[in-house]
Amino acid sequence: MSFPWIFALIVGAFILFLAIYGVSKLIGTQETLQSAKTSKEIGILLNPLETGFEEAKSSTLFFPVETRVYTDCNLGGDFGRQLIRISQKSFNKWVDTDLNVGFSNKYIFSKNPSEGEEFFIFVKPFDFPFKVSDLTYITSSRDVYCFVNAPDDIEEEIGNLQQENLLIENCSELKSNDVRNVTKVCFGQARESGCAVQVDYGNKMVETRDGKVHFETDALLYGAIFAEKNIYECQVRRLMQRVESLARLYSQKINMVGCGTNMQTDLIMLINSAKVVSDSSDLTLVNFVAEDIDSKNKAAGLCKLW
Amino acid sequence: MINLITIDKKGQMKIQQMAFMLMAVTLFFLLVGMFVLVWSFSGLKESATALEEKNTMLLVTKLANSPEFSCGNAFGTGKINCIDADKTMALKDMSDEYSGFWGKDISNIEIRKIYPIDEEEIVCSVGNYPDCNVIKMYDKEIAGNYIWNFVSLCRKADYGEERGIDDKCEIAKVLVGYTQTE
Repeated sequence: MSFPWIFALIVGAFILFLAIYGVSKLIGTQETLQSAKTSKEIGILLNPLETGFEEAKSSTLFFPVETRVYTDCNLGGDFGRQLIRISQKSFNKWVDTDLNVGFSNKYIFSKNPSEGEEFFIFVKPFDFPFKVSDLTYITSSRDVYCFVNAPDDIEEEIGNLQQENLLIENCSELKSNDVRNVTKVCFGQARESGCAVQVDYGNKMVETRDGKVHFETDALLYGAIFAEKNIYECQVRRLMQRVESLARLYSQKINMVGCGTNMQTDLIMLINSAKVVSDSSDLTLVNFVAEDIDSKNKAAGLCKLW
Repeated sequence: MINLITIDKKGQMKIQQMAFMLMAVTLFFLLVGMFVLVWSFSGLKESATALEEKNTMLLVTKLANSPEFSCGNAFGTGKINCIDADKTMALKDMSDEYSGFWGKDISNIEIRKIYPIDEEEIVCSVGNYPDCNVIKMYDKEIAGNYIWNFVSLCRKADYGEERGIDDKCEIAKVLVGYTQTE
């Protein structure tokens, strides 16, 4: 073979390699961008789900392809951040990206990752004692939660939601050939067999395979059921950061209006107790202060702060 | 001898032609690649702006119900789409803490009283509140793109010794401005 041929083959192969490498990199970038865009869209689409005076709201989210929704939480800044990451199936392969989209005003509780094409979004306000935020619970239609011996108000709420994957009454609706992942959520003090989640409603404790967590209000109870322990604990701390800021806001409102001054000291106590929360077991103390302020606010008549 | 030089020169010529050709092909691929990159990234800017617009649009409909603004039960029965003016004035003092809270591209949030109609625009501050009609969350103008919605604007008004403190609700517009991705 002559030199020009060898030269042409080597350089031609190099050019082809560069072109293929460039195109594959470009496809990878486009897939990452698409994932980031979808993650941002999920966060944005949660805005209309914010509650007014509703007790809870449920909605459905469809993806055109098989999707994994990863949620994470960090405590940086004044309010921490809710992180969302999406991974979608392309040519039967999961496209993993490390691009997280963050939101300061969202609190999502879900399995990590939650996988499927159809997802249910259930939103419930968290009042402590004033409305702090709406908590969002994302579950895949492939994950079924079966609530056994739940208190009447929980059963009523789940029944009213009419969310396909939240079942009550001994899960009799489940067929033996059901391929979905079933998580049994049992209510009661004694640990029952086959229960992945055990709720001691009286002592406000939820036990999962990750360990025990404490909850106050039903909104946090659902959070403890649907999320992993580390995410739940992180969200509790973020929520307490928000409680602290809102309590300062109400304290300033008192100065602005000059009415409701008897709640000023209690608000300062709430700020201080929310500030020192390091995990969910500290919630009892904050709840004690919160209940006290709530009763004062209800009795304040025209000077109600919230 | 003469023949050998002629062959050498021909070979050199061929190599030079090949090298020029290959350079041209490489340049062609590079130009096409750059064109594709520029095209795809120009679409990215547009989709970032469209997402921001969507966020603002959905946010403005629900902003009045977020705990930092909402009236809750402070004015008699529970009200939706109602902004507590006293709370918003207190929030204005905490605007640094809340910067970027509703989205990093949200440039400003303004509440403008529209009824009863006032002759001149007076921006609220701690000194002139409640004798004013525009509450600006951040100390900058809403420039460029914004989306607005009607809300009730309620506050505790002092009616003097006879009537004391009572609730007062007016009609207002909430404007949310967002920045376009450059």
